[in-house]
This record gives sequence, C-alpha cells and structure tokens, in this order.
Amino acid sequence: MTAAPADSDLSVQRLDGRLRDLLAGKKIVMTGVTGFIGEQLLWKILTELPETRPSVLVRRKGSASARERMIAVVKKSIFNDLRKAAGGPAELLDTRVEVIEGDLPNVPQLPSDLDIVVHCAGDVSFDPPIDQAFTTNVIGTKALLDRMLEAVADESGQLRRIPHYVHISTAYTAGRRRGAILEAPHAHDIDYDAETAAGIAMRDLIEEESRTSAQLARLREDAEREHRQAGFLTTAADTERRRIEWVQAELVKAGTERARSLGWTDVYTFTKALGERVVTDVGQGVYVSIVRPAIVESSWLHPYPGWIEGFKMAEPLILAYGRGELPEFPATPEAVVDIVPCDHVVNAILAVCATRPEIGEPEYYHVNSGARNPLTFKDLYTYIRAYFLEHPFEGGPRGAARLPQWTFPGASSIERLLSTSDRAHKLAERVLAQMPRSDRTRKIAKDLDRTRVRLDFVRRYHTLYKEYAQSELHFVDDNTFALTRALHPDDQAAFAFDTAVFDWKTYIQEVHCPSITAPVRRMEAIRSKRGNRPTTMKDLAKDAAGATAVAIFDLDGTIMSTNVIEQYLWARLPELSRTRQLAEVGRVVRRLPSYLRAEQRDRGTFLRAVYRRYRGADLAALERFIDTSMAPHILSRLSPEAVRRIREHRAAGHTTILITGVVRPLTRPIQQLFDVIVAAELGVDDEGRCTGFLSAPPLVGESRAAWLKHYATSHNVDLDRSFAYADSHSDLPMLESVGNAVAVSPDIPLMRAAHRNQWSVVEWKIKPITPRWALPT
Amino acid sequence: MGRPGFVLEVDDRTPPLLVPDGDRFQLEKFPLGTRVIYPAESLARVPDLGEAINAALDTPLDSAPLLALLKPEMRLTIAFDDIGTPTPRMRRPDIRGKVIEAVLSRAAAAGVDNVALVSANGLNRRMTSEELQYLVGERVFRSFYVDGLLANHDAEDTDNLAKIGTTVTAEIAVNARAASSDLLIFVHLVAGPPPGAAAIAAGLGSTATIGQLSGPQGPGNDVAAQIADLVTSAIPIFEIDAVLDNDVLAPPVEFLGHREWEWSLKDRATWFGMRRGLEWSPQRARRRLMNRAEGNYHATLVTAGSPAAVQRASQAQIMAQQRVEVSAAADVGVLGVGAHIPYSVDSVTNPILAAWSGLAAGFSSHTGTPFVRPGGALILYHPLYAEFSPLHHPSYVDFFTDVLTITTSPERIAADYEEKFANDSWYVHLYRTGHAFHGVHPMYLWYQTAAAQRHCSDIVWVGADRESAARMGFRAASTLADALEIVASTVGRTPSISYLHSPPPVLVDIK
Repeated sequence: MTAAPADSDLSVQRLDGRLRDLLAGKKIVMTGVTGFIGEQLLWKILTELPETRPSVLVRRKGSASARERMIAVVKKSIFNDLRKAAGGPAELLDTRVEVIEGDLPNVPQLPSDLDIVVHCAGDVSFDPPIDQAFTTNVIGTKALLDRMLEAVADESGQLRRIPHYVHISTAYTAGRRRGAILEAPHAHDIDYDAETAAGIAMRDLIEEESRTSAQLARLREDAEREHRQAGFLTTAADTERRRIEWVQAELVKAGTERARSLGWTDVYTFTKALGERVVTDVGQGVYVSIVRPAIVESSWLHPYPGWIEGFKMAEPLILAYGRGELPEFPATPEAVVDIVPCDHVVNAILAVCATRPEIGEPEYYHVNSGARNPLTFKDLYTYIRAYFLEHPFEGGPRGAARLPQWTFPGASSIERLLSTSDRAHKLAERVLAQMPRSDRTRKIAKDLDRTRVRLDFVRRYHTLYKEYAQSELHFVDDNTFALTRALHPDDQAAFAFDTAVFDWKTYIQEVHCPSITAPVRRMEAIRSKRGNRPTTMKDLAKDAAGATAVAIFDLDGTIMSTNVIEQYLWARLPELSRTRQLAEVGRVVRRLPSYLRAEQRDRGTFLRAVYRRYRGADLAALERFIDTSMAPHILSRLSPEAVRRIREHRAAGHTTILITGVVRPLTRPIQQLFDVIVAAELGVDDEGRCTGFLSAPPLVGESRAAWLKHYATSHNVDLDRSFAYADSHSDLPMLESVGNAVAVSPDIPLMRAAHRNQWSVVEWKIKPITPRWALPT
Repeated sequence: MGRPGFVLEVDDRTPPLLVPDGDRFQLEKFPLGTRVIYPAESLARVPDLGEAINAALDTPLDSAPLLALLKPEMRLTIAFDDIGTPTPRMRRPDIRGKVIEAVLSRAAAAGVDNVALVSANGLNRRMTSEELQYLVGERVFRSFYVDGLLANHDAEDTDNLAKIGTTVTAEIAVNARAASSDLLIFVHLVAGPPPGAAAIAAGLGSTATIGQLSGPQGPGNDVAAQIADLVTSAIPIFEIDAVLDNDVLAPPVEFLGHREWEWSLKDRATWFGMRRGLEWSPQRARRRLMNRAEGNYHATLVTAGSPAAVQRASQAQIMAQQRVEVSAAADVGVLGVGAHIPYSVDSVTNPILAAWSGLAAGFSSHTGTPFVRPGGALILYHPLYAEFSPLHHPSYVDFFTDVLTITTSPERIAADYEEKFANDSWYVHLYRTGHAFHGVHPMYLWYQTAAAQRHCSDIVWVGADRESAARMGFRAASTLADALEIVASTVGRTPSISYLHSPPPVLVDIK
C-alpha cells in the first residue's frame, strides 16, 4: 500500500464547509441520470443536499418522453421516502428536479443559471461499434461543453459566469500503459477531430462493403444452408439479419483494431481518452475536473449495502461461475482487480463538484481501490467460490452445479482450449447435420447448443477482459484520498469515499454477491414453481377461442410416419406383376440420390419429381385401392397422440386443417378428422389417368403460411389464437404465423427455432406394427 | 385319450415351471408347496372330420336333418365366429371352412340359391379379406366374397339391422340378413364353456343390443336369457358346434404345453434356442413371431341341431376336456398372460387387453368358484407395455390415457364416459371402414375385469411396466418373490399358492 500523503502535500483546495452548504443554491446539470451512477447521484443530491438544484438532461426513448422516463426513475424504491415527502413522483420532480429533454450529441439549450455540469452519460459497453463510440464519447462530450459555454455566455460571447465542468471518465483511459498512472492527463498527440471523422466514416464504408455482390452472396449462401427449405422469404430475412449483424461486428472490430493500433485496449477507453482531451481543450476557460473511476460495482453503504442497477462488468462472470459455466479465466492471479463501490464514486463526484480547480488547470481524480486496498484476482476468486459454496444456486432438478476450480493457466492456454473446443464443436455440428432425426440426435443437438452458448460466452469475456485481467496498472489516487480527508467531519458519515475502509471478503461475500444473485434466485424460485416449460401446447379444455381459431397440422412426420416415396410404392406396386414390381423398386432406388438432392434443395421440386411417377395411374382405381387396401397401412401409421390432439381441437370448436404435400387420394382414410384438407392434386387426362403433373403447385414452406394467412382473412380466423403443428424446418413460416406453434418430433433446425421462440416441443411416437416393406394387398 | 389334468404340489425335485409372460416365457421356481394346476391332455379326436360333420348334419340333436330343413326358395344365412376364436389361430384348414362347405353342398343339393355368409364379429374389428379367406377356405371365399355375400357384421349399419323385440331395458336389433332368413346356421368353434344363445346377439346384434350384454355389472341373467329367448323365437336357428381339443400349440413348440419334467432333450434344446432368440430379438420381431403361431387343434366332438341341445352336448364335452379338480381355493393365485388374446390377433397386446386376459378370461375359467379365495391375492405375469395399435385399438389409447387416469371404477366409467365412446363418430368411422374395434369395446372388456378386482384384495403384475400397472389400479413387482412380499400384508408370510398352468385351457373345479 502507498502511504497516505501528508495533508501539507495536497494541491487540492480544502473544502471549508459541509457539502450541503458549499453546494447550496447551485444548479447542477447532469447527464446519464437514468444510468447506474447517475441515478444514485440524483438520489444523493435529493437526499443530502436539500438546497442544491439538480437539472437533468434525459433523452426520449421510443414513445417515453424525458419526463415520463424520469417519473419511472423516481418511482424506484430508493426514492420511496423522497416521493412520500413530496406527495408523489410528479410532485417530487416538480419541486426538486428540472427535466430537460435532449440527446447527445444533439444537446438542447441548457439553463443559463447553471453552476455545475456533471457528465456521466456514456456507453457502458467495452465494444460498441466505432462510430457509436465516437459519437457518444467525443462528439457528445464536445456538444455538451459547447452548449454549456453558450448557456453562460452573453451576446458577445463573454462568459457571464464561470461554470464547473465535472467529467466522468474511466481509469482505464490509461490504455495499454503500464505501471503507475498519475492523476494527470495522459501523454499522447492524437488529433481527435481527424480520428472522429475517420471513425464516423467507417459506418458508411462498411455498410457499402456489406452490400457488395460478393459479400451478399456469401451471406445468402450461409442463410440458405440453414433456411433453404423454409423458402425464399425466410432466407432473405435471414440474409438481411446476417448482413446487419456483419456490419455491426465489423464496426466493433474496426473500433478495437484502431484502438489497439494507437495503444488502447478497446474503442471504449480510447474514445474516453480522446473525450478527456476534448474536455481540457474546450474547457480551457472554465473550471474543469475529471473523475476517473475504475470498475464500479455495487454500493458499500448507500442507499443501502449492495445497491446496484443492472449488470455491470463482473456480474455476468460471477453468475456464470455460480452456475458452474466458467471453467477457467484468463487472469493473472496476482493482477489487481480495481473495483470501487458505486457510492464511493457518487460521493467523490459530489465532493469534486464542491471544489474549485484553477481555470485552465483541470484536476484529475482516480476513484479506485487498487492503490490502497488492492484486491487480487486470486482473492476475488477465493471469495466468490467460498460464497457460492455456502450459498449455491438451486440449479434445477439436478441440484447445484459443480463449481469449477480455477488454476489460472494463463491466457494462451485458455485460448488454445477455446480454439480446440471450437473446432470440436464445428466437427460435431457437421456430423450432427448428417445424422437421421431421432430423440437422440435432438438430445445431442441440445447439448451442443448449450456448449456453444458457453463457448461463446467464455470467448466473448475472454476477448473483452483479457487485458484488464492481466493488467499491471497502478492508479495513483492521491488527489482523491486528499479530497475525502478534506471533507467536513460532519460529512464523513454520509460522503466519505476512502476505499481502504472495508475489507474485500465482507464486500464480496456479504454485500456484492448476495445483491447480484438475489434476482437470479427469485427467478429460480418462480421457475421451480411454475416449471420451465414453454406452453404453446395449451390445455384445450380451457380454450375459449372456439370457431375463431384453427388448428393446422402437417402430415408426414407430424401425425403420420411415412414419406412420399413409400406412399408411392404402396400405391403403385400392388397392381404390378412381381417382376415389374422389382423393376419399379429398382428404378426408384436408382433415382433415390437425385430425389434426396432435390429434397435438400427444395421440397416442391422433390415432390414434383416423385409425383411424376404417378403418370398413367387410373385415379378412380387408385382411390378405390386406397380406400380398401391402403387405408389400414395409413391408419396404422397414425400417431395416437396426434389423433387425440386433433379430436381435442374439434371438441374445442376449432376448425381442423390438414396441410400436406401428399397427393389428395392418400388423405382419404383420415379426411374425417379434418374440416379442411389442403393436398397436392394429381392432374388427370380425359380418361381419368394421371398425367404425372400436379394441377396446382404443392404447398410447401412459405406458401403454407401464405395460404393460412389468406384463409384466416377470408374466414374470419384469429391466427393469434390458432394452433399449428409441424415437424420440419420448412414449416417454420407456417408455425410463425400462428399464436400457438408446436414442434412435433422436430428436426434440429426446427428444434432450435422452437427453443428460440419458446414453443412447446412434443414427441408424438409412431410405432407402426407392420414393417415398412410390407405391401398392401 | 390323454391323461386328465392334475394338481402338482411343488417339492424339491420340481424343476422351474413355464410361465407365459406376454410375448415371452419365463421359467419360474415356485415356493415349495405351491399347487400347480395342470391342464388335461387332449381327448381323442374325431377319427374323420368330414364324416363327423356329415353325421352331425344328418342326425342332428333335437332337430330334423339339415337337408330336410333346406327349401329351394329359402333365404339361408350362415354365421360363424371371427378370427378371435380360437387363439392362437387354427392351422389350415379351419374347421369352420369344412363345416361351411358341408352345409353349402347340402344347400346346393336342395337347390337353395339365396345364401349369404356373415362373420359374427359383434363389436370386434372387421376382418380383412385374407382373414375371411383363412376362416372359410379358398373355394367358399372365391364364390361369395366378390358378390358381397361374405361379409363382416356391422353393428352400426342402421340400414342393415332389424328389430326383433324388446327386453325390459331396450330394444333388440340384429343383423337384418340373419333376422330375415328362413334359416340361420350358426357355425361355432367351442374352445371354452359355450356362452348360450345370447352369443348370437353378441355376434350379430346392434351396438345397443351388445351393450345390454356388457354393462359394468355383467349381464343380468334374466336379460341374457330374455335376449336368448327373443333371438331363438325370432329366427329359426340350426347350430353346428365343433368342440376343440387341448392341442393349443403346434410343433415345434407343442412341448410348451407339456409337463416340464417330461420335456425331451430335443424339447430342451428348442426351448433354449427359442428363449435366447426371443430375448435377443427386438420387441416388434418377437411380436410378429408370436402372432404367426398356430394351434394344432382338432375336433373332439361335432354336433348340430337345436341351439339348446347342441350347447348342452358341447358343454359336457368341454367339461370332460378342460375340467381339473382342485381341492381348495388358495390364498394366492398365480397366472401368466400369454401373447394370444382374442382381441389382439395380428396386433399388439395393450395393457387393457392383458388385464382382461388375466382377470376376466384366466381368472374366471372355473365351474363356479375361482381358484383364489375371496380376499386373496392374484399375481400375474405380463410386461404391460403401454403400446397400442393405432389401426386396431384407437379407442383403447384414449381410454387408457384419458379415462383410466381419472377413474378405474366401472360404474363411474359407465356413467361418465361410455356414451361418449360409444357414439364417437371417429371411432364409429374406424370401426365401420377401417379395422378398429368399436369405440366402446375397451370399456366392455374393462367391466369384465371388475369381478376379479372385487374378489381379490391385491393384484400384482410381475415384470410389468409400473406406470401402466398403477394406472389400472394394480401394483407391479420385479420378481415373484417381491410380489409375494407385497401381498404378505394381506395373506401372510406362508400363504397357500396355486399356479394355473395354462395354456392349454383349464376349467378349475373347486371341490
């Protein structure tokens, strides 16, 4: 630990009075008040500084105006007493808070009587797209400063009063520097205007590149691999989604690379550092203070121990560890994790507000713990592990998860592990894609997906935090320490921000972890009470939709286990002689590879190819044969669960619809179950013989959804209350168009879609008692 | 003439005994002192079946010879039992076919043109054309089937059902062709105690008529008698019965019906191979194998004439063939449910059918007193897989899933669900056009298990699917020892045990 500097060394101006008096009557314009630090800052001012006049700059969000958003803020529980005293949230705002609607960088006119501006708005993400990072941290900061200066200037541009601009930055603006970081400007000579212009321009550049034919073709091919069977529109929608994702990812990459090329870890700290430079340049003629907190986490004391809003940097990692999902972390065990409680940051900001730095000589404050109360990664890990050992997550039916034991093998070995896992995962995916559909493949796919999520999680945090977790930065906090010592003795209780006062074990195990795990535990309790099942497979006895709802079923694989080739052979072979039967089977088998290729490409093509073989069949005879001989074959392949479900829909008054690519005659044995049957119609010639062509294109993929939508409008059907059942990914558009979609023994892409959309997945078992090769006689 | 049935008392020297267990067999070591009720060996068969049939037709009981009853202008209908009698099915040629051919040749001689054949399948599934051909023989099938003169009975075909009278509860309607015939010839294979003339209504009646014979309390004797009277007075009936012997199993597995200590070396080798084969083959293959099994039945008596007289003769012959005298009812009864059940021919034995086979058919195979004492326990063998044939038993699945999960009480089922299942249009559709048992069929079978359930304090299934057993209100045990442990609370630690060693069939006669 560094020895505390003697009072005589302090360059900081003494605080000669209590903060409530020093800041009495001052108007503080604040940004970022809907955020984590800003919210507590407002609370602190309203609670402890009765005569200070906060004025908040809040942007609209969707349809919510700035005032509505502020009402939502003061409705939170920490404002309970204040709200009660004022007589309601609106009254609290009216009496104490001025709300200015506005945005960064389009800052509106600021009140001319402002005394202090506290800028704590900013991105919290480490990896925003490059243009967004510049817009917020550089352009936004400049705009705010400009407006501030305008507000306090007279017509001739002379300042009527000199405001105090307090800029909330981050300790990590130090970038990739090593060793002691002083509370002083970082040395660099980057032209921030040029950098900003270049950063903003990246958006157009990358957008343009994403629209080149080569790039679009690549994206489309990727989308087709997954969605081809679902149809063109689904593929197109996915292509566009991929393009937008790609642009985003490229912008992030551009930001990171630019930052690294100039000595910063990421675009967040880089633009924050440039933002500091903007502040010192533009704020040359006013009082300027720059507060640089390290990693801000939950409060130590105020408003209550453990207070935190949303998840910050470390929470996802802590929670993932508690769930047993973080096998290792690329940290140096001795590296210092520079955490600072939120209330210390808030207190420091308010104390800084009360200071008066020299004009043109900005003051810097590091609000951190590393200098005098360092917490090493090893200790942090030990405390968190001890916490979860004592208070594990319930963890569902299999009990609490096993907590991994970290050995801190170093970043490169984790990197190796990650890339090996990635390769193994990709290989497994490829194998899986070739496996036939079954319970087991679905289970494997589920496990793979879970692994993928974990891998992605680990990789993301690995990339984001690698540098921080190994950094050997040492933030000197002499200024800050002096400031907390300078607080009036009566202010010490409420405003002190000496990070050496607590011990980390207590903070982690009794304050921080309980606070951040509480919502997760609440969710766990709710989940274990209601079960974790998506519920599109509703209990129909309670359904009141009646005739306004339809229940639409796919045939093959959903309610019946057959395929069109098999059906074709059943229907055609019995009329042929034994030798011709063999010949026909031979021909079909020979063509099987080409059929399968067609099926992979487009189901419609495949169906047409198979139905071409019906050429020459007598349709009336075929129907007779189906009624007498094939019906048992078809009925014995019906899933009893499916039939029960269809009948329940009928009992509930729903219209039952069968939609299938199968030829209509084959649906005859089950037509009694359905009010409407949409099937492929075999074209016939004058003599009633099949031409081998269909009289209308088969309804597959998107055309099913289109048909259903049309049917719904013409029959007054409420699709949101309707049901759809299907087994394959090609039916995705149809499933998406109803309110209650159920995936039945799905293929893997559909299973994944069902998981994404929270649809029920059911297994309708179909165990035919006759073997596949038995022909109807 | 074979040896009569007997009761073996298990001692140290008794080998493990064969127990049917669904589509498998177990060799089970029974506790010392267990009484094993062995069936009789077959009685002497009629030396020449053709001659026996001719003799029966020409010198009938209590009736004029058949030829004298046949007139050229008459309507003649021949009804016969469906594929469920006997089980396993009879090796070709089926005796029914032989009898029908003899009848038809007399009809031809008498110049009768108007002849139709109908299977008395009641609410059972329609038989396929191959099955019909199997029963009546190729020649008869060829002459009648294409013209629609050989058909299944349809209990829902209101256009072809004729009212023949009314009992105290409801009206009785039967197959219109049969009712409007000048003579109805009923060809019957007797493999168990004959059910009486009401059987004609059960095979050829309307759903409502059959329903009167199938309530949760069983048919009141007066209702059954009333129906029998109505039928016999409305339709002139000439019944032909062929009583079957006990050769239920055909070579090479006929030894399974023999006494275990008499198995030859070859039998043992066959058993060993068969057992391994069944164990290793997947369930579906095993089922197919068992479904293909055939019985090597022969007739031991053929009689014809008035239903009452013929049934008396058949009854006496069945008693001679199947009756086994047992000294007393036991505390614990054991029986194995095999693969061959009248309602799962070429199909899947679902848990309800297995329960029926054990509790209704097996348990009630006695002359008046069951082989288990009242309040005793019954231990059965069957895997009770919750598997159903969607083709044959669509309403069984729903009964098992939707009804038995709520109640197993026959009275409640009759009150709350029977009508819904009986009138369900989808079941009716499948019964009439597919090959499904009628919607209400599972309930009627379930009602028949009620007597055994009331009689026994505990019913335990060995080696059964626990969920299926529990759903039907029974218990499951993994071994016989465990089952005996379970029932010990009601029958004590040293109960008397009887094992009903069947098939072949046994009629238990408690002294």
